[in-house]
Amino acid sequence: MRDLLGKLTALDPEASETLKVVGYFDALTSRGAGLGSLLRAAAALAGCPAVAEVDGRVTAYDPAGRRLAEAADRPRGSVVAFRSGAVWLVREGSPHANDAMITDRLGVAVEGLASQHSATREIEVVVDAERAVAERRTALVRLGIDLGASVRVILSDDDPGARWTKTAPVPTPLGVLHTTLEVRPGGVAAADHAWDGHSRVGIGTWTRADSAPDSWEAALVAHRLLGEGPGTVLDAADLGSMLILARAYDPTSPHPDVTALESLDAVTAEILRELVDADSLRAAAARLAMHHSTLQARHESITTRLGYDPRTTVGRLRYMSAEFLRRLGG
Amino acid sequence: MTVTRPPHDPELDAALEVMLESLPAGTMNAETAAAMRDADGAQLPGLDPEDLAALGVISRDVVIPVADGAELAGTIFSRADHTGTGPGIYHVHGGGMVTGHRLLGVQQTLPWIVEHDAVVLTVDYRLAPEHPDPYPVEDSYAGLVWMAEHAADLGVDPDRMIIVGASAGGGIAAGTALLARDRSGPRLAGQVLICPMIDDRDATASAAQVTERTTWTRDSNRYGWSSLLGDRVGTEDVSIYAAPARATDLSGLPPTYIDCGSAEVFRDEDVAYALGLWEAGVDAELHVWAGGFHGFEMLAPHAAVSQASLAARDSWVARTIGDR
Repeated sequence: MRDLLGKLTALDPEASETLKVVGYFDALTSRGAGLGSLLRAAAALAGCPAVAEVDGRVTAYDPAGRRLAEAADRPRGSVVAFRSGAVWLVREGSPHANDAMITDRLGVAVEGLASQHSATREIEVVVDAERAVAERRTALVRLGIDLGASVRVILSDDDPGARWTKTAPVPTPLGVLHTTLEVRPGGVAAADHAWDGHSRVGIGTWTRADSAPDSWEAALVAHRLLGEGPGTVLDAADLGSMLILARAYDPTSPHPDVTALESLDAVTAEILRELVDADSLRAAAARLAMHHSTLQARHESITTRLGYDPRTTVGRLRYMSAEFLRRLGG
Repeated sequence: MTVTRPPHDPELDAALEVMLESLPAGTMNAETAAAMRDADGAQLPGLDPEDLAALGVISRDVVIPVADGAELAGTIFSRADHTGTGPGIYHVHGGGMVTGHRLLGVQQTLPWIVEHDAVVLTVDYRLAPEHPDPYPVEDSYAGLVWMAEHAADLGVDPDRMIIVGASAGGGIAAGTALLARDRSGPRLAGQVLICPMIDDRDATASAAQVTERTTWTRDSNRYGWSSLLGDRVGTEDVSIYAAPARATDLSGLPPTYIDCGSAEVFRDEDVAYALGLWEAGVDAELHVWAGGFHGFEMLAPHAAVSQASLAARDSWVARTIGDR
């Protein structure tokens, strides 16, 4: 059986065999090829079976693309070992000139595949602002993400499912959340409705890959704002300039305005909301089914308690900022 | 306006990318056709003598006379231990009507020789544009008649003969089967039309979709048909034997196997041909492989979708000419 590399060389004798092998594996990897595709390619290129052992599991294909049930006991040629396993060719006799190059590229591709499945540490590093930039960049390279690519971080309660490969459960101030890196290499991002059906999904802002912690922070803000509500998705980009306010806020040492809101009982909090929202005191009284003069008295006591009048322009803004930050502290 | 075609299967697309870098051009025209012919077909994957030996298959060349006085070169393949009679397989090579030779694509019949003790004949029909229609299909028919007439010498059971061809070879095979029907020639037990090129009219959605980054573009197709038909291309003056998609009556044809890819020029004409056969009460089996470009299973036989395609075809052949 003539091997694929021989055929390619016959078609185009001037291009180097290395280029063809590298090109083929790169083409497969960039299209998200799985272990089977990679092994079939290696076997076809070499003209003999190709085998991978990853985390103790052995998989083998012959050059015609058929899966081999038993390959572990057969001769191992041009072995390339990596962290989670090894790849090799079942070559009877002495190795052919290109065997080592084929298993080298196969090894890189299979290792890349294997590390996708155990990317937890790398993802932790990539979103962590405390890490040095150099460390985050190394982790990005390991994940196969271009440093200049656009990424955003998505924090979800649930495992996002198989379509997301760069995902891992990572500890956050809100507990362990599934942390997913969405990469946009100049193409189109997945639509946000891809997240419908998941409970509580905070979507971060797009940023350069090596600034992923910014996106992580934004995703955390979005996730916080969702509170305990059921099945909702919030994109930090929809917060506009409020995101700046949220980022500057440390929920562990809340502002007195926030503490003041937190101390209100439910009825008072509702009255306050109506005072802020309603066009007039009379309208607020009608909505609350309260007597106008009673509401006026409550308005005065609330103003005293907060230290500002929530029905003035500045007071409204102050209330809304404090309420926004209160929900962040959730 | 570009029309979106179905996406390629990722595993196939990776192989295509590497192949397109190696091939001179993805488009067939006078220049590339000449370049491919000058090399006598040797630059395309041919038949490896070691493959034959490993399978226990032997070959011998024959000369087949044609009515106009010409002689066609042919090659017969059989198992080295072939005795008595077995199924006959008449193979028609591809190459866009303008290139190719009798050994091109014949590899796909080797498993059937081994498995079913079949005897294969493949013939060099004369190529367009030097020999335009009806030379290719008439030469092909002459080869089929020769095989039927020599069935006893060849160890072929004349009641178990099928015709098989891929691409232009599939189109010529379909035309040859129509000739055999209309001239009361050899009675075929089946026709295997692999991504056949059967419609010169260039009017399908799939032709409009498949214009670039593939193995057989719409422009290549126009070149192939123009070479075969000259000024007659697309007019009323084209016979059903040259372009079988034009046949309005497909009754009386043998059981038919048709396959193609969802992302190739020939998809729609091939699907329509299967529909026509069913409407005429002929048994047909049709497979349209998702994400397949033209000839995907020949270019990347190791890919998963190619494996499925080859297995389906082998299965039909076994059901048609194998021991039941």
